[in-house]
Amino acid sequence: MGEVIVITSGKGGVGKTTTTANIGIGLSKLDKKVVVIDTDLGLRNLDVVLGLENRIVYNLVDVIEGNCRLKQALIRDKRFPELYLLPSAQTKDKSSVSPGQMKKLVEDIRDQFDYILLDCPAGIEQGFQNAIAGADRAIVVTTPEVSSIRDADRIIGLLEASGIRQNDLLINRLRVDMVRRGDMMSVDDVTEILAVNLLGVIPDDEQVVIATNQGEPVVGEDCMAGKAYMNICRRLTGEELPVPDFSKPESFFEKISSLFHRRAGER
Amino acid sequence: MGVPSVSIARERLRNLLISDRIQCAPDAVDRLSSDLYHTVSKYVEIKPEDFRIEITRTDIHIRYMGEKN
Repeated sequence: MGEVIVITSGKGGVGKTTTTANIGIGLSKLDKKVVVIDTDLGLRNLDVVLGLENRIVYNLVDVIEGNCRLKQALIRDKRFPELYLLPSAQTKDKSSVSPGQMKKLVEDIRDQFDYILLDCPAGIEQGFQNAIAGADRAIVVTTPEVSSIRDADRIIGLLEASGIRQNDLLINRLRVDMVRRGDMMSVDDVTEILAVNLLGVIPDDEQVVIATNQGEPVVGEDCMAGKAYMNICRRLTGEELPVPDFSKPESFFEKISSLFHRRAGER
Repeated sequence: MGVPSVSIARERLRNLLISDRIQCAPDAVDRLSSDLYHTVSKYVEIKPEDFRIEITRTDIHIRYMGEKN
């Protein structure tokens, strides 16, 4: 039986889709059979981040409306062992699917995969309700900013109210240099305020932008974000890995990062 | 170099989360706190500076420092 994980945030633009893509690929690299589902109806994006936008024939709404079989809509990503994408519909709106239909779809495919990752749209309306309907647990993505953390708190409250008890936090785009200057909230600040389990921290890394431009993953690559995403995938599979404390001045990560930012500044 | 902005962010965020969590205006939190203080002080000997409430997503905690050694 596969595990169903929704990747959500409340606020838009904090990295839900990038996170879904990279965790999906990372888990597949760990020999898990994974399907990533884009539940953002009308604003399809996960296919683009994965570089699979030219291979779409059918989509999520087609499957739910019975226009095609699931097998026809799933796109196999040939670069990785067992990774499949169920794309969203670009021309339908959020009301084309109900939470009940999403839940049924997820239950129907559960036994075929190790992990089912649901990329949730921004907001707390029907798109959000659809995405969380069939989920066992959630990864709440936030950046270390007031507005994003505020939305994350709201989302965690809504998830708990919907009976989803395992809600793990992913802090994205942490700028170690700014934390050290006292101009960005640290990992400890964020986890203390939100009081949820920390799944991982992705340092701000220009490699993510470069990889996304190319429709390539960053997970598993030899860069800070690539390593951090891979560690998150290992934690999801049950490995006990400590989350590096980026606020400690003498950590290895910090040294590398300050070197990296200094170089970036010189250009 | 100005004052580190992170302390301002933390303070703003704490206030926002409290009013989001119990869905009320920030001044209502102060009134709630003072009402709870008066209620507790009827039964327990406390000083205002030792009394604090904490609002989480599911609970309101009342904290008071008891006898100090």
